Amino acid sequence: MRNVIVTLLTISVLTASAARAETIVATVNGMVCAFCATGIEKSFKKQTAVAAIKVDLEGRKVTVQTKPDATLGDAVVTKLITDAGYAVVDIARQP
Amino acid sequence: MFLHKALHGGCCLALVSSLIAAPVFAKPISYVGGTMIMQENDETGYTLAVDYTLTPKIAVGFYGKTEISGDKFTVAGPQVNTLVKRWNLPEGQGNIFTMTGAGLAQRNGAGPNDTQFAAWTGVLADYETRRIFTSYELRLMYAQHIEKSAWQRARIGFAPYLANYDDLNTWIMLQVDHHPAKSRAISVTPMVRFFYKSFLAEGGVNTRGEVLFNWVQQF
Repeated sequence: MRNVIVTLLTISVLTASAARAETIVATVNGMVCAFCATGIEKSFKKQTAVAAIKVDLEGRKVTVQTKPDATLGDAVVTKLITDAGYAVVDIARQP
Repeated sequence: MFLHKALHGGCCLALVSSLIAAPVFAKPISYVGGTMIMQENDETGYTLAVDYTLTPKIAVGFYGKTEISGDKFTVAGPQVNTLVKRWNLPEGQGNIFTMTGAGLAQRNGAGPNDTQFAAWTGVLADYETRRIFTSYELRLMYAQHIEKSAWQRARIGFAPYLANYDDLNTWIMLQVDHHPAKSRAISVTPMVRFFYKSFLAEGGVNTRGEVLFNWVQQF
């Protein structure tokens, strides 16, 4: 019985942690040059909260996957993209 | 002599390394905290620029050039690049930059007594989409009795295929340089540009058969 409780608690903790990771999708204007847009990737990769990043010129999107339990606020996302030389149009979040 | 040897040596080393490694010419401001090395080789000489981007609108660094045509001289010194205006559009981006510096100039092969104060400034305007590229650049150089000159450059280009971020990007370009003080004032260079992630290289041969090769690395 004790083992079952411990297992259930562990699963619930892991599930809760995993649920805290999120996907952030920013729509960006001006992002037409792959060479110049590497600054976005480099800037986000310096953030400890970031697990992965994908830049899509065709869709004008920057998609950021955060690490479990980590957060990246809209203000930070906007600053990183603006500091790389681009304009953020919209930010959407998916759990 | 010292300036010439230092810059020429550095450029040769950089050129050799770039040829060995494989891959040009980019905006003088990258991303905040980013460093960029730009190296250019054409019939007028060898140019090296290293920039560190402080803010989205300001980069500081070093600019040096060894001129090998006309008055042969070398100039080098710190440079400040500014973004005057940027248009971030859904399908394109336009920019106006300035590049201004001051340092020392010396005739190639001359002694240290020939070293002169030098200052330079330039403006670069560009507009690009994923399919087309256009730019115009005007540069002014003043180096007391060694050099007083102006030159301008225009480029147009197109991408033969639409590459995404993780692809090898290819551009076909035409560059026109106008150096009023030189005997052959106009140079027309068809060229090809490649870039992949943070490395860019371009090369071409002008209508007189002279080779151009440039590369840029972002860190």
